[in-house]
Amino acid sequence: MATAAIAAAPATAVTAPRLKVGAVTAGLALILLTTAAASLSLGASGLLPWELFSRDLSPAERAILLDIRLPRLLLGALVGASLAVSGALMQGLFRNPLADPGLVGVGAGAGLGAVVAIVLGGLMPAAIHAATGMYLVPLFAFFGGWATTLILYRVASLRGQTSIATMLLAGIVLGALAGAATGVLVYLADDNQLRDLTFWGLGSLAGANWTKLAAAAPILIAGLALSPLLARGLNAMALGEGVARHLGVPVEGVKRGAILIVAAMTGASVAVSGGIGFVGIVVPHILRLAIGPDHRSLLPTAALFGAALLIAADTVSRLVVSPAELPIGIIMALIGAPVFLWILLARRATMEI
Amino acid sequence: MLLASGLSVSLGRRPVLSDVAFEAQPGQITAIVGPNGSGKTTLLRMLTGDLAGQGAISLDGDTPATMAPRALAQRRAVLPQATAVGFPFTLREIVRMGHEAGHAAHRPGIVDEAVAEVGLSRKIDGFFHDMSGGEQARGHLARVRAQVWEPMRDGRPSWLFVDEPVAALDIGHQLQVMTLLRRFADAGGGVVAVMHDLNLTAMHADRMVLMDGGRIVAAGRPTEVMTDPLLSSAYRCRLCVNTAPPKGIWLLPQAAALA
Amino acid sequence: MSRLLLATALALLPLTAAAQDRVLSIGGSVSEIVYALGQEGRLVGRDTTSTYPAAVEALPDVGYMRALSPEGVLSVSPDLILMEAGAGPAETLATLEGAGVKIVTIPGADSPEGVEAKVQAVAAALGQEARGAELAARIEAETAAALATVAAQPGPKPRVLFVLGNSGGRLTGAGSDTSAAAMIALAGGVNAIEGFAGYKALTDEAVAAAAPDIILAMESSEGPGMPGDDPLYAHAALAATPAGQAKRVVRMPGMFLLGFGPRTPEAILALNAALYAKGN
Repeated sequence: MATAAIAAAPATAVTAPRLKVGAVTAGLALILLTTAAASLSLGASGLLPWELFSRDLSPAERAILLDIRLPRLLLGALVGASLAVSGALMQGLFRNPLADPGLVGVGAGAGLGAVVAIVLGGLMPAAIHAATGMYLVPLFAFFGGWATTLILYRVASLRGQTSIATMLLAGIVLGALAGAATGVLVYLADDNQLRDLTFWGLGSLAGANWTKLAAAAPILIAGLALSPLLARGLNAMALGEGVARHLGVPVEGVKRGAILIVAAMTGASVAVSGGIGFVGIVVPHILRLAIGPDHRSLLPTAALFGAALLIAADTVSRLVVSPAELPIGIIMALIGAPVFLWILLARRATMEI
Repeated sequence: MLLASGLSVSLGRRPVLSDVAFEAQPGQITAIVGPNGSGKTTLLRMLTGDLAGQGAISLDGDTPATMAPRALAQRRAVLPQATAVGFPFTLREIVRMGHEAGHAAHRPGIVDEAVAEVGLSRKIDGFFHDMSGGEQARGHLARVRAQVWEPMRDGRPSWLFVDEPVAALDIGHQLQVMTLLRRFADAGGGVVAVMHDLNLTAMHADRMVLMDGGRIVAAGRPTEVMTDPLLSSAYRCRLCVNTAPPKGIWLLPQAAALA
Repeated sequence: MSRLLLATALALLPLTAAAQDRVLSIGGSVSEIVYALGQEGRLVGRDTTSTYPAAVEALPDVGYMRALSPEGVLSVSPDLILMEAGAGPAETLATLEGAGVKIVTIPGADSPEGVEAKVQAVAAALGQEARGAELAARIEAETAAALATVAAQPGPKPRVLFVLGNSGGRLTGAGSDTSAAAMIALAGGVNAIEGFAGYKALTDEAVAAAAPDIILAMESSEGPGMPGDDPLYAHAALAATPAGQAKRVVRMPGMFLLGFGPRTPEAILALNAALYAKGN
């Protein structure tokens, strides 16, 4: 009798709760299209996109649809996708679901670059202003982020090998250093510059235009297109660098690729939209719960989800206090934090059962 | 065959391996034994190319250190002592990683077969991290097994390097794993295993290599290596080797520290 | 002759009115000047800093003047934007100009002459040069009268410390080259802080060395983050100063005090009266 019971017990198969990748991808694509349509249709002016064809629009109305909403939508989609994919790449690299691009110093470096441009911009030679025009802050943010990452990468690399742990520690140190330098500049800043700094830190897509899109899009699209090449390597890295090597993964190449892609994408995103947090952690986390951690499906779905989320948040940001606008970073935290908490709590319940 | 000579490696100024020569034949289980700190794992890591040092290694005529990572992954699989999984993968996904590393095209069915071989079929779609320590160890064995699924491939042997594959297992599963390795070797593959359990090793290994202090002190068939003086000297305690029908030999520890 | 003039004026009027009938005012003092010129009927929107006169708050608020969003601005369909210097960001301004909206930048000011220049710039943009000259002249006269009152005050000039904020016991004070320092000087006080420009956090030693007779601050109702009087008195270094001992804190609405608009002569008089009040 006892034998029969023991033999019967193992018959039930164990299955991880997962959704179908295809269904999730299709669903996210649909959500992205819906949010994109909403973003083109909603705004303080109440203009609708098809009015472009149904009646004669004034130059200002044409500008709202074609020079304000459209580049803003495209920039939002690219930035959202890039931030989500960057987060997923960093988490894969560090084997930690809480890792974000900030860990490789991009955030601190970009922040320092922006502060330098805002506070010391007036002291810079006229030639620099002539060359950069109104894009001094984005350019400095991009180069700040990029330079910090390269420094960190050099510090953490010895004889062609990059230590992820050293990079993490050096990142904290460099972050503190950049924070101190930022602090000095904040002290030097006048009242108006302080306000600019605050708004920059909260992030916004309000400055989107075709010029910014043309500058950022090639970097962001290249990063998004190259990231799937790292998927198999990152999967193997989940078992550790040693095992990844046994599985035939060129580990150093994967690390270098991930770091450089993240630095470029995050640098470009931060430069055109300021500090937008949360996307990089929440999107990959929710997707890992839904479809699992396989980067081959995680990276493309994260791009779709991140794009939809940022477009949605941006649309809300320009509607809630219309015709004024709330910084998108605030919206992101307001929408994202409760949803994230709810998911954690719901998951805790199932784990306890 | 696997041939190595002049292997030396130091940690700081302390030599961990000193001028080691090693060979292993396909179709055999070659077991590396020895006391803690004798250099077993270091030797294995040099043989798999994980650790750089002096010396020459030839894997069926090729030098692992200079082979393309993908090409090497199709010729040999490695099972380290412990492997932590960073994200909530399922057992199927883990084993498929191994299979895809060794095969350009994914062949469905092989993953299921490899998992069935270690008796975990009903957990194949469950979370890896939900399994017990012993089940995870067998799961990783299924992964490396799926990587070099064909013991002979294109007329060349595949190789399995395993570091203490039975450390976390009960006696039933120890035998299951040794049987799996045995079948792989019998089909033409080569197995190099670091082992702690001398009785299990004596029962299953074709060749034994006894290490002590970073050197190989004895190598040969188990009956040649498993002798009272060799083992007692290497393990620093009095050991007594016996024989048991039909062909096995077994070991009885006699007393604690021997000077 | 007069009939002809009237006819010409009537013929011209629709032209100018049609071109600039929907005005968006960015900057508190700019909005005040538009009202002082009697042109409030042409306003279609304002920014967050435009809060005086109270009627202006009924207009749609397109956001903070340094963080404007292009569609928010265009949604009130302005054909003329009067923008105080420093409004932005630059990308938004470029987009707005691209959309064909006329933007006139009004120079900033922290002197009575600057106010007059502002008035004339706003009036010119609105095609109200005559009224502008009239308003500027009135402000000039009022300023002269106010400054005469200030000059007539007897006794030593009080040392005034302008406190912008008090976060966690750290006071932010006004150094030189600030509108607060300019107002203190105009109203017959001496700015107690020397040695740096702009608004900066003050160390306790700097507060003690400043030895203000009077603390000047903005009214708490002006917004969150403005210190009430109690935390100021609780501040150890501040409590030890003459102002702290005598508990002399003067509070005024921020735009009134520091806006440098049509109310500036009035503000000079009010501040002067407060500084020289025979207090306890």
